Amino acid sequence: MADYLPWLFVIGAALAVIAALGSLWLSLSLAFSDELVGGARAQLTTDARRGLLTEKENLLQEIRDIAFEHDAGKLSDADYEEINAKLRAQARHVLHELDIGAGPFRDEAEALIAERLSDEG
Amino acid sequence: MPALDIPFFGTLVLCLILISASYTMAVAMGAGQGRPHLLPSARWGTYATCALVLVAILVLAYAFQVHDFRIRYVARYSDRSMPWWYLVTSLWGGQDGSLLWWSFLLSGYTFFAVRWLRGRYTELQPWVIATLMSILLFFAILMLFAANPFATYIRTTPGDGEGLNPLLQNYWMAIHPPVLYMGFVGWSVPFAILVAAMVTGRLGNEWVRAARLWSMIAWTFLSIGLLLGCLWSYEELGWGGYWAWDPVENASFMPWLVGTAYLHSVLIQERRQMMKVWNVFLLFLTFFLTIFGTFLTRSGLIASVHSFARSDIGQYFVWYMAFLLIAFAALMIWRLPKLKADNEIESLVSREFAFLLNNWVLLGMMVFVLIATTFPLLSQWVRGEEVTVGPGFYNKWMVPLGIVLLFLAGLGPLVAWRKATGSKLLRAMAFPIGVGLAVALLQALFGARLGYPSVVEPTEIYDTGTGTVLAWMSAIAPGVSFATCAFVLASVGQEFWRGMRVRMRKGEGAGKALVNLVSKGRRRYGGYIVHVGIVFMFIGFTGAAYDVEQESALRPGETMDIGNHVVRYDQPRMETDPNKRMIFTDMTLLDESGNEDGQVAPGKFIYRTHPQMPTTEVAIRSRPAEDVYVIMSTVDPSTQRGTFRIIIRPLVAWIWIGGLVLLFGALLGMWPTGRELLREEAPRIRRFRFSPATAVVGLAIVIATMIAWAGVASAQNDSSSSLHAGSVVINDPVERQLFGRLLCQCGDCARLPLDTCACGWADEKRIEVRERLSAGEEPTRIQESYRAQYGAAALAIPSDEGLDRALWAVPIAAMVVAIGFIVVLGRRWQRRGVAPRASTASDASEKLEYDTRLDAELDRLEES
Repeated sequence: MADYLPWLFVIGAALAVIAALGSLWLSLSLAFSDELVGGARAQLTTDARRGLLTEKENLLQEIRDIAFEHDAGKLSDADYEEINAKLRAQARHVLHELDIGAGPFRDEAEALIAERLSDEG
Repeated sequence: MPALDIPFFGTLVLCLILISASYTMAVAMGAGQGRPHLLPSARWGTYATCALVLVAILVLAYAFQVHDFRIRYVARYSDRSMPWWYLVTSLWGGQDGSLLWWSFLLSGYTFFAVRWLRGRYTELQPWVIATLMSILLFFAILMLFAANPFATYIRTTPGDGEGLNPLLQNYWMAIHPPVLYMGFVGWSVPFAILVAAMVTGRLGNEWVRAARLWSMIAWTFLSIGLLLGCLWSYEELGWGGYWAWDPVENASFMPWLVGTAYLHSVLIQERRQMMKVWNVFLLFLTFFLTIFGTFLTRSGLIASVHSFARSDIGQYFVWYMAFLLIAFAALMIWRLPKLKADNEIESLVSREFAFLLNNWVLLGMMVFVLIATTFPLLSQWVRGEEVTVGPGFYNKWMVPLGIVLLFLAGLGPLVAWRKATGSKLLRAMAFPIGVGLAVALLQALFGARLGYPSVVEPTEIYDTGTGTVLAWMSAIAPGVSFATCAFVLASVGQEFWRGMRVRMRKGEGAGKALVNLVSKGRRRYGGYIVHVGIVFMFIGFTGAAYDVEQESALRPGETMDIGNHVVRYDQPRMETDPNKRMIFTDMTLLDESGNEDGQVAPGKFIYRTHPQMPTTEVAIRSRPAEDVYVIMSTVDPSTQRGTFRIIIRPLVAWIWIGGLVLLFGALLGMWPTGRELLREEAPRIRRFRFSPATAVVGLAIVIATMIAWAGVASAQNDSSSSLHAGSVVINDPVERQLFGRLLCQCGDCARLPLDTCACGWADEKRIEVRERLSAGEEPTRIQESYRAQYGAAALAIPSDEGLDRALWAVPIAAMVVAIGFIVVLGRRWQRRGVAPRASTASDASEKLEYDTRLDAELDRLEES
């Protein structure tokens, strides 16, 4: 092992140098290219939606946990009803926001479908 | 071997790291400032920088293997006789190399974090990359201008190296530093995510979710790293303990305390969108403490058994810490309006409030440790007097706080989120409290007979009222600790049972209910298992109250009695390898009937490169009930007469068992997060994909295998070492208390008290002190004359008067103020009540439609 190990390190270092140079070249070529501008902007627009989806998942989790704690006897019926109502109201609000946010996408999709259908007669 | 100027090439690579990290940071900042097309470029720049760091570490590793003693670092930390594996561990054996190692681990984290971020959190990505690159940049500057691991000798190149410190030539050194560093460095990723969230103003739950997995990874590594450090200390330093409250240990413990507080507190934000400012502060503080701890130990400002040499890298850290503080304060002020809580605490009897109390204790402990660790420095600056804060101080104050924390670990799961009614809480607490009280009663009745009395001999660290109170608190601590451990175990067990019962009511069998319960709530139940691991560790810590210690001189064939054991000294023997001479003394453990119960072979190693520094290799026979810890102090080659110190350490194995349970629980808690996040990216893909959780599990398996291997090695060799060669004899509690307050002044082991230090100087001093006690001199007078002779730093614990009192008064005052603040704030929040968010979906039919969709989503969640 002691005989081979230095060579392993040398080969590893050589491969890492190649990887570093390759990555750097890619980085520089991408930095001076404008092709990705549109794609990157489109990616950003989906982030707001992702935030709402995250919030929805958290609220669902919370509703489920509250129900679990109620079933396990940690929450009284009255407290459970009150908290559950609040959480569901928040979740409905988030679903509503998601629907509003999906509006332009839906309109665009519907327009594309209509266009395609009219093209096909 | 290729003819290459390694030192020059290594330094060149460090320069390239600096340039590449700066370039990537600039590109990433550009991407974050309205030029998103630069993001892929920043990502590839990150990969290039990480690859360059890999080149640097491989070049240094190569230099060690080929003994390139032109490089100062290689010459100082290796020699030609060292086997290849210690040449690899030498990479992190000294200051300069460990900084490169640190950068290497950081680049590893950065690589995986940036790969993981692809297609996720696009707005945060540029700033995450920029922050991680800025940290790497700092380390590159540090290496290039202050601690270059490729620096060469100006004049002659030595023919052989100085060799690695013998204490570091131990299998734990192959595991402990990398794992601990993984814990330290790991906090950089959540910190970078936090900075990104603050810069972009996206301070909702998004960053919390993004940072969750990474903070769990860092916390797990830090926890296991700390435990491996305990193992190294226990086996390698040979003083009989596993935690000495050394500044280096404290430097790792402080971020762990704050990180633990963050992991609990952030749950409140996730659930209730509260405590946003507090969580931001805790995460920043955790990262800051990793840097501060590194500064403390690397600058040489504070004396420690494993600190690095005094160097000028401290000033770089000071500037960096100042930059971090100013930048964080500016970001905080800028983003304060966005950190407003969406909800408030509805009741003081709630999970939220229990977590606040948990944070209060953890932060209180951190303040205690911080003040005690830096007190010698503060004392030197303020009044020009050097003092020492020894383990006795920490043990006395930390034990009660630790028990309160343990109690909260059992209480938290019993309390519901938002608000729990008093009657329901009492009903939930009845069983765990009953179990705790039953254990306390049983221990009070039978404990003394079994060797585990509820109350132990009180020892005072001060001759004041405070000293008396602390002594009594520590005297009853074992009983309270065991009862609290039982309470927490019962609480966790009850949680599992209650969860199972809910599922069983739906028709599932007990086994299926348990499996489904855990698999659908891995984070929650993983957390409970972590609590069980902590309880096991507390059982191990409590065992220290029942240590029995004895020292004897024996000839071959003679025996000594200790506890329920008889130990027979058989013979000495010597072995050699190219690196060292090894002198062992074979000993046999006998049970009460005289039958053989095991073999141990404590010894001494004399390294070729450090003959003046013989290491004492302890032998440990470990069982769940107790460890038999044998130290060979001296052996006379002509008469074969040996001096042995044997310590019976009850329950210590539970600390390591607890560590494994903690690791299992943490992995369980992390696992769903990885899958969940993966699914978020590609919902329908079922094929195996790499995730950070996979990496963590892989690494954990490697660590567990290495621990198991090391355990086997330990059983085979029973070896570890100490710097000391004398013996410790303590006749009565008065002696123990006094010796515990006086520090050895031999020069080699200045931080060890006389009740522990086994060097010749300490032995002579004990004889002298014993004679003075026999002559009727008061212990207080002896202590004062010791202080007058050797200075205030020769006392293990500063006095309980004047400025010294600040050592405990400041943290206690801070904790009192904090708890008052928490209660007042909680009450105010409670009075204000909570305004439900307005729902725009007010129409009844629309409400019904959304409720139907919600129910469908909940069913999907249940089935997933």
